[in-house]
Amino acid sequence: MNRNIPSISKLNNLFLDKELKPSELFEQVYENASFTESILHAHLELFYDEGIENSKKSDERFLKGESLGKLDGIPIAIKDNINVYGYKTTCSSKMLSNYVSPYDATVIGMLKETGSTFTGKTNLDEFAMGSSTENSAYGPTKNPWNPDYVPGGSSGGSAAVVSAGSAVASLGSDTGGSIRQPASFCGVVGFKPTYGTVSRFGLIAFASSLDQIGPITNTVDDARIIFDNIQGYDPKDATSIKPEYTEPKNKKLKIGIIKELMQEGVSEDSQNEVNKVTQLLENSGHEVVETSLPLTEMALSVYYLIAPAECSANLSRFDGVRFGLREPASGSYEMMNKTRAVGFGEEVKKRILLGTYALSAGYFDEYYGRALKVRSKIISDFQKAFDDFDFLISPTTPSPAFKFGEKTENPLEMYLSDLCTIPANLAGLPAISIPTGLSNNNMPLSIQLMGKPCSDYSLLDLAESIEDMVSFNHLPKMTKGDI
Amino acid sequence: MNLKPTIGMETHVELDTESKMFCSCKVVETDEPNISLCPTCLGLPGALPVPNKKAIEYIVMLSLGANCSITKEGMFHRKNYFYPDLPKNYQISQFDFPVGVEGSLEIVIEDSLHTVAIERVHMEEDTGKSIHLGSGRIDSATSTLLDFNRSGVPLVEVVTKPIISSAKMAVAYIEELRQLVIDLGISKGKLEKGNLRFDANISVAEEGSDELGVKVEIKNMNSLKSLEKAIDYEILRQTKMVQDKESIIQETRHWDENKQVTLSMRTKEGSADYRYFSDPDLPNMVINDEFIEISQNQIKETPEKKRKTLLDTGLSLSDSNYLDKGQRWLYELYLSTVKETGDCKSTFNFLTGELQGQMRKAEISELPQWLNSEKLASLINLFENNEVSFTSAKDILAKLLIEDIDPKSFASDNNLIQSSDNDEIKALVTSIINENQDIVERLENPEDKLVGYLVGQVMKSSKSKVNPGSVKEVLLKELFG
Ligand SMILES: [Zn+2]
Repeated sequence: MNRNIPSISKLNNLFLDKELKPSELFEQVYENASFTESILHAHLELFYDEGIENSKKSDERFLKGESLGKLDGIPIAIKDNINVYGYKTTCSSKMLSNYVSPYDATVIGMLKETGSTFTGKTNLDEFAMGSSTENSAYGPTKNPWNPDYVPGGSSGGSAAVVSAGSAVASLGSDTGGSIRQPASFCGVVGFKPTYGTVSRFGLIAFASSLDQIGPITNTVDDARIIFDNIQGYDPKDATSIKPEYTEPKNKKLKIGIIKELMQEGVSEDSQNEVNKVTQLLENSGHEVVETSLPLTEMALSVYYLIAPAECSANLSRFDGVRFGLREPASGSYEMMNKTRAVGFGEEVKKRILLGTYALSAGYFDEYYGRALKVRSKIISDFQKAFDDFDFLISPTTPSPAFKFGEKTENPLEMYLSDLCTIPANLAGLPAISIPTGLSNNNMPLSIQLMGKPCSDYSLLDLAESIEDMVSFNHLPKMTKGDI
Repeated sequence: MNLKPTIGMETHVELDTESKMFCSCKVVETDEPNISLCPTCLGLPGALPVPNKKAIEYIVMLSLGANCSITKEGMFHRKNYFYPDLPKNYQISQFDFPVGVEGSLEIVIEDSLHTVAIERVHMEEDTGKSIHLGSGRIDSATSTLLDFNRSGVPLVEVVTKPIISSAKMAVAYIEELRQLVIDLGISKGKLEKGNLRFDANISVAEEGSDELGVKVEIKNMNSLKSLEKAIDYEILRQTKMVQDKESIIQETRHWDENKQVTLSMRTKEGSADYRYFSDPDLPNMVINDEFIEISQNQIKETPEKKRKTLLDTGLSLSDSNYLDKGQRWLYELYLSTVKETGDCKSTFNFLTGELQGQMRKAEISELPQWLNSEKLASLINLFENNEVSFTSAKDILAKLLIEDIDPKSFASDNNLIQSSDNDEIKALVTSIINENQDIVERLENPEDKLVGYLVGQVMKSSKSKVNPGSVKEVLLKELFG
């Protein structure tokens, strides 16, 4: 792939061959950030001092021939809902504007072991609730391909920094598409691993049964390298698993096109990308067949009951008692009420209310209870589909990036932008978005691949072969230039 | 109209685990606030709960000990409510799949056995502690101090069916439950430390009626005395209200120790909706047969088993229950001593009366190492066989508590052995009769008070080394034939 920033493997070779120093790379990436940030607003905070210090340590390791591996000296951006010890974790909320984390998330601890450096924390929709970063309390992030357009969300900042070259890679979190949708809007790779393969410890929860940390990168191989270094069982996360990764039975793969994600409501542009990739896959000997998963049409409704229900409890801890914002008041309950009224933005409040309602006595069975039942049916539908197919393919988003303000007045329109990505979260499946082409107005388009649980590595292999066949080599407007 | 009360008990038991329920913080017993905390038990953003396996083993043991069936696939639920000392503003608890269901406990009231049906045994985490300055209540405090040391400590809640019929029965139930958790080794069971805290649901209804009356909950008691008084008070209060045709409102009350009455707690309008749902941070709690067997094997003792063992020695039910609920060493000492004396009643009486009494007086909480069952049995046998007087036995025991002596040799070395030698007694009796001819002449029948005087004279001349019973026997034979 021909991008302005070399792949992680390539950078690692440059380090090993002494053609580039990690500190030089860090300076370059930081310069890119300085150049683009005033327009993009993708980073909420840059960690220059610690970053340059750490990259100089990498320099020494490479000099002594003691490098820690492929991520040694690689600058990575972190979504600001993942805790890094000693730094603020704001979740782009007023509620946590002064909150400094006293501990590292498990993935952060693991990345620190690899010798990678952190560029800083990236912008998101408040508490990861949104699809455009327009819900950030600190202002939206712009799309590097065209600043009139949204970068997607909720990991909009993490997608934009990779696209703009102000980080080599980033970590995002994906609850209903929050890694894949912004990756698609910004023309980069976004990978949501199998639920439970990457620890959630230290990720500030939105909806615990759906949240998953994953990488946003320039290439599929970069995503594989990051995933490789953050996956694995974590005793601090009871939902984490000891994964046994699977391989497909045959070299010749059978891939299903999800019919329900290739009809009205999904733009022709997006459908065309899938058709284009289908052709390429068939040309290289794979079998691609249309298949029906009727319940995917209910996924959006199920998601908008389960995610708000879980978030209504997950966000209860933000009460002004122990940390974060505290609004002055005359009594404990008044303080908690005021703090939550002032600290949370509109979208967050809306979802807390929705979730509280769905869990209330008298409504539980009708809403949350029923959503759980449909969710388990969706899971078994996918299980059946994977008896027949090795992988499933669909567009990542129903349409390319939209303009600021275009969907803020109509929440349902906004929610629909996660139509194709939500099913993988409900079923806990690994799913990846890779850029494949451009729309008429020169915004990136992507396809999504889904696999059965723990097929992560073989899913990445397939994505890489598509990446090679497509050779998407367009560059966004907002980049500083080659390294 | 004959009214009968119905009571159901909900008891929280603090488990005696090393670490908390969902994190690895130590469970500490200290007044120093906020010293055992981590992101999880402080509810910091991003922190996750991981269940404590030992706590689950303990709750399975308790469920088995309370004769419950075990739910093989249970789950944790979130119970949602806002309170400053509840860090996440939800409590991880259990809802429709508790660990133990449908059990029973055998309890003893005076000299009869009863059964209390257990509805459920479930797991939850404790909250922190609030200290409301200024008023003691959250709504009128000038400020509130929070201590999160207790936050996340594993709690088990044991809920009975509404079948307890008196304050005495409720007390006996708590005593049995407390002994169960102590014998299982899963809780310290100290009431004064709040290791057990109980709520009582009380209602009254006409005798014979199928329906229960309106229930009133008395919350958060941790002493048996308060429990008994609160229930008795509440039954009287409700009975009077029904007789006066006043309607009882469903509410939560608390026992006011100073005023000796139950008082209504300020209740929020409408009933609380906790919006229970299964906790997505915790996978289902699978308790398989192997785990149940491991937990079963941890059960060495239960109060019910101990009581059976005691009854088998011949003790009465109430005496058995007394030892069952007492300290462990006393129970064990009784069993080993009675094996040697073969006399349950005298062994029981001597240990619970004389031994415990002297220890209390001397402020000794532990038996000296040398004071074993062999020595106690030998001492009990000495006075039971009339070889020493009870007074001497007491003296020997007092000595034994401070010095390693052999009771029998001590008795003979110190001339404490009573003579039962009839010839010796006969000689003494003859000489006393001879010396007291004036009195002998005044005797009318064997019940005469003066017989006692003559026995006393014989004892005096023997320096109390003869058995008074034998003396009386010989004396009467000499006088009345
Ligand atoms: Zn803790």
